[in-house]
This record gives sequence, C-alpha cells and structure tokens, in this order.
Amino acid sequence: MSAIPLALYVAAFIAYAWHFARRDAPAGRAATTVLVAAALVHTFVIGMQTMEVGHIPVASTTSAISSFVWLLALSYLYIEMTTDERAMGVFILPLLAALQAIPALHPGVEDRSGVLRSPLFGIHVSSLLFAYASFAVACVIGITYVLLFKEIKAKQLGFFYARLPSLQVLDAMNQRAIVIGWIFLTIGMIVGAVWAARAQGYAPGDPRVQAMSLQDPKIFVALVCWAVYSFELFAARRIGWGGRRAAYLSALGFAIVLLNFVPISYFLTKSHNF
Amino acid sequence: MHLLLVGISHKTAPVELRERLDFHARGLGESVRQLTGRGSAREAVIVSTCNRAELYVACDEIDATRDDLTRFLSEFHALPASRVTPHVYGQPDLDAARHLFRVAAGLDSLVMGEPQILGQVKQAHTAAADAHTAGPILNRLFHSSFAVGKRVRTETGLGSGAVSVSYAAVSLARKIFGDLSGRNVVVIGAGEMGKLTARHMKSQGVRYITIVSRTMANAARTAEAIGGARATPWEDLDGALGASDIVITATGAASPILTRAHVDRVMRPRRNRPLFIIDIAMPRDVEPAAGEIEQVFLYNIDDLQATVRENLARRASEVTRAEGIVGQEVEKFGTWLRAREAVPTVVALREHFETIRRAELERLDFKLSALPPEARARVDEITHLIVEKLLLTPTEQLKVLSDGETITAYSEALSRLFGLTDAASQESPGTDSSRRVTPFNRSKSGPSR
Repeated sequence: MSAIPLALYVAAFIAYAWHFARRDAPAGRAATTVLVAAALVHTFVIGMQTMEVGHIPVASTTSAISSFVWLLALSYLYIEMTTDERAMGVFILPLLAALQAIPALHPGVEDRSGVLRSPLFGIHVSSLLFAYASFAVACVIGITYVLLFKEIKAKQLGFFYARLPSLQVLDAMNQRAIVIGWIFLTIGMIVGAVWAARAQGYAPGDPRVQAMSLQDPKIFVALVCWAVYSFELFAARRIGWGGRRAAYLSALGFAIVLLNFVPISYFLTKSHNF
Repeated sequence: MHLLLVGISHKTAPVELRERLDFHARGLGESVRQLTGRGSAREAVIVSTCNRAELYVACDEIDATRDDLTRFLSEFHALPASRVTPHVYGQPDLDAARHLFRVAAGLDSLVMGEPQILGQVKQAHTAAADAHTAGPILNRLFHSSFAVGKRVRTETGLGSGAVSVSYAAVSLARKIFGDLSGRNVVVIGAGEMGKLTARHMKSQGVRYITIVSRTMANAARTAEAIGGARATPWEDLDGALGASDIVITATGAASPILTRAHVDRVMRPRRNRPLFIIDIAMPRDVEPAAGEIEQVFLYNIDDLQATVRENLARRASEVTRAEGIVGQEVEKFGTWLRAREAVPTVVALREHFETIRRAELERLDFKLSALPPEARARVDEITHLIVEKLLLTPTEQLKVLSDGETITAYSEALSRLFGLTDAASQESPGTDSSRRVTPFNRSKSGPSR
C-alpha cells in the first residue's frame, strides 16, 4: 500500500527536476500538484494503518520511516507555499522517494509491544520524527546554499545563480529549520528519557528496556546529533559561524540523523528494536 | 486590405535623426490622428521610442501608402524629405507582422531581449486605440505581438541576466542579500563614478548610503547631490565598513586602499556577516586576495563585465528559440488575416440574398396584405430562416479557407455566379462610400513586394 505514495513521490521528483532544469512554470505547478496528491494519498495510507492497528503506526522502524517521509513532505509543502519557492523540491524529493522505498518494499509488521503503551511514547516518537524532518529540510537548504555560495565566490554565475533564492534567504531558512528541529529533538529526548525511567518500573524484565543507556548506539548517536545541532546554533549566534559553515554543519547533522534512523535502527540498537 | 510598416530604427538611422523623429513631443494620439487624417491609411498605430519610429497601418494600396507615410515622417517633423527617405524601410503584410513581433520580443532592440520595448509597444497601441485609429486588423496584430513578447520572455532566456555593469552589480547584491532596502551601502570615493553608482543603488531601493572620501567636503557635496546619503570622514572608514553590507570603491588612488589584512580586521567584529565589495576603480582599490576571506564577495569591474558578456552570449544563444516563436505567431496571424479576406465576400453574399428576399416580399405584398399581422410576421421569419439555412454552409466554408489564392478563386466564382459586383464593403473605422472597394479586383490593386 505504501507503493502508491512512492510512485507519486517519484513522479513529483521528475516534475521538480524538469522544472528546475528547464525553468518551466507549468512543470513546477504540475510538480506541486503531484506532491500534494502524494501527501494526500500518504495521509490516507497512514490513516488506514492507524484504523487497522488502533494507534498511529510509528512503533516499528519501517512505519516510523513512512511517517517521517509523510511529515517531511508536509513540511516541505509548507515551506514551498509560504516562500513561493520551488527550487528546493528537486533536492527534497529524492530523499522522500528513497526513504519511502523502504516501507514500500518491506512493509514492516506494526506490532506494538506492551512496553510502548504510554502517551509519553507517542510524544517521544512524534517530536523526534518532526525534528528529523526539520533537519532534513535544513540539510537540503544548506546544500543549495553551498552550491550558490560557490558560484558567486568563484564568479561563475550560472545554473544555480539563475534558479535559487538569495543566500540571505537560504541562510535564514536554514537557521529557522535548525531552531525548530533542535527544539523538537530536545523535547523528544527528554520525554524518551523520562519514559525509559518509568518503563524500568513497570517492565523491568524487558531486555530492550534494560539496554536503554548511553552505551546503546541509538541513544548515544542521538546525543551526538543533539551536540552537533546545539553547537551549530551556538556558533551561528556567538562566533559568526553563519552561512557556509552552518550549511556544512546542517549537512553533517542530517547525515548522523539518517545513520541513526536507518542502519542503526535496523541492525545495531538493542534498546529501540520494537 | 494590406498591412504596411514604414519606419526608421537604430539599425538604419543615426541618433540625431531618431531624436528628430520622436512622436512623443506632440503626443502619440495626436500624431496618429494626423496620420489617418491623410486618408492613405485606414488604421494606424505609431511605435515611437528612442531607438525607433515606426508607422503600422492597414491600407488598400501598398505603394501609394508607403510613399505617403514616408512623406508624413518628414512633413510631420518638418524635415526635408531627402534627410529622412534614405533611412526609411518598409515592410508589407506578413513581413510587417514579423517585424512588429520581433520588436515586441526584443529581438530588434539595441540590447537583445530588453524588456522595456514590450511596454512601449503596448503604450503605442493604447494611444492609437484611444484615438480610434486602430481597427480590427491592427488590434489583432498588436494583441498578437503582446502574446509574442510574453511567450518569448517566459519560454526563452532571451531577457534573462543583467546586461549592464551596474545592473549586474545590483543583481549580484540581490542574490547575496535578498531585499536591498534595509542594507547599508558605503561608497568610498566622491568622484563621478562613485556618485553614479550610489545614485543607481538609490534608484534600486537602497535607503542607507554613506559616502567616505579623503576630503570630507567632497564627501559632503556628493552626499548632498545624491540626496538622503550621509558623509563620513576618512578616519571613520573602519566604522563605516563594519556597519556596511555593500562597499563600492571608486577612488583614483594609485595603490589599493583596502588590503586583505584591512578587510580581515573589519570582518571580525561583523561576526562574518557577508560583505559584498564592488571595486569599480581603475587601478583597483581592493587587493584581490581580500576576496579569499570567508563571507567576502569581491567583484571588480572586469568580473562584472565578464558576467555581462556571458549574459549577452546566453541571450544570443536563445535567439533561435525566440525566432521560432515569432515564426509560429506570424503563421497564426497570417491564417487569421487570410480568413478575413473572405469577409467582404460573405457580407456581399448575405446582402445579395437579403435584397432578393426583401424584393420578393415586396412584390408579393398585395397577396400577403390579406393575411393577419401575425401570419405576415411568420412569413417574414420563415423566409429569413430559409436564407440563413441556405447561406450557412457556404459561409462556414469560406471562413475556414486559409490560403489566399483559393479565397480569391472562391470569391471570384461566387461573384460571377451571383453577380456580386459592388455590394461588398470592408468594415474599418471611418468607412465611407469613397473607400468602398470590391474584394475581387484585389489582384490588380496590390502586388506585394
């Protein structure tokens, strides 16, 4: 069932790429339309899964990825509508399509174990997914910032110069996305810690609950991630690390997020393999 | 009916003559009214810019009208014909349409693809429409030209990229800072170049301009000349640079006034806010190495000229696509124009049938007079419907014909078969009986060159 949103994301990517390369206005409108359709279908899919299992499907890694893709699509659409800027789509859509391929090809079993029946768990997962979506947006904006920066610096005004918004706008958007992401990351981690502490009380025998410590790769890498973004925010405000350095940091931060989100969740963690 | 263009442009006439042939001084509306008052043209629009003066008319006789329009150009501006005539070009029919479409697209401009011309063409048409000198043909022609201009701008890169150094600088500044209105611009040097650039920045919406010069009096004078700018003494240069976003250097100094170390020092308290330095001085005012500093964007006059050259080259590479659009639109317009040639025949045919119908009704009046009024009305209605039905197919067939020769052949056949000789008239503003022409002898009247 996740294959239909995947197909639509791929179609939207093609339209965004066409729009970006040829600067074709109808292609841009078509791209947005297809992406809106993809988000709607995806909403429907997630809604159906919710009805089926009785809660929002975020407990298994696979369904969490699907929800993340959905959130990222909505976040991107929000940015596109508020800034009236379609150039970023060509960078976001490959990420959406690639990640959506996982639930489309390997539909995971959404089976919520007893440990997870706590409202804190819902807050934990949804705020982290939202943080990750913001970081993805920041990363993409950062990449486009660097591309444009290099063109202007090298005095080779060409492809990106003609297509991207100004450096100032990109920098401001990047900062905003990082701030939002950082806030949700912080909330998500605190709530997770509180919930893990409580779980020690009511499910002490569960090996996953026992593994919830800083030695667990998933938790450790999440902290690294928090450190990177905290530093970026501090550096941008205190030591003038705006612009290109901030852009590189947001790319680094999101690389860590992806690492934590996909390979570590599937293969390494002992605490988060639900 | 023919389309005709007579005019001069930067390609055929020197600027001294173009200045003399400007129509704006006496008003486009008044000029175009005088033009149609001469009687040689049925419809007229005058396109007048600093690079061209062109008369677009719809007329019956190409050669005579061409001569009359040439005379109009010199007489209206009180110039001897010998001064004007050698520079005048004329284009008949679809060549005139193609010319206008190329003009509207910016293909005929001095600076390829410049956008102002489309507005000027629109203005020309509005003036003529207000003066009631633009009729169905020129209305259609000009609306098509607006469509061409719009298509070329959105579908090709003909108008993209700055093509003057000052616009290149402004467009770079916009790409770095976005909106410029809240940005601080510092101009170093109070000479003519500095003043010009500061004026340009101001016209682009920059509100905060500071002039720094070695002589405070010069700075103050320049600041006053620009209006709304501040002057700062040379000793406060670092302070001004620290608060600036865009720095324009235009001094006559023999050696660089901003070294890399100097810029580095200025950048630190700015916390790496981007700084865009435009060095338009010759010899250069800023050490090139300053451009290596993170968040410093340094462009000198050569760099700006290089981007202008690139933009011009890119525009040139779009010409083929733009010409393709012009070609398509000329084709469309031609189809419409040829279909219009059938209009007089259609009108004549309808008038002929209507005349017969009325004559017959009159002839039978004595028989119909016995009928009650409602029944007579029915008879009138029925006969009218019969005529309409009979003419429906021939009318439609005539209107879809697109090639001129076929239309002429059909028209001639119809006029012979039905004896349509003098009933046809062509609608146009101010049609009067002396201007009535039969559409069927057009092969004699207007050989297109």
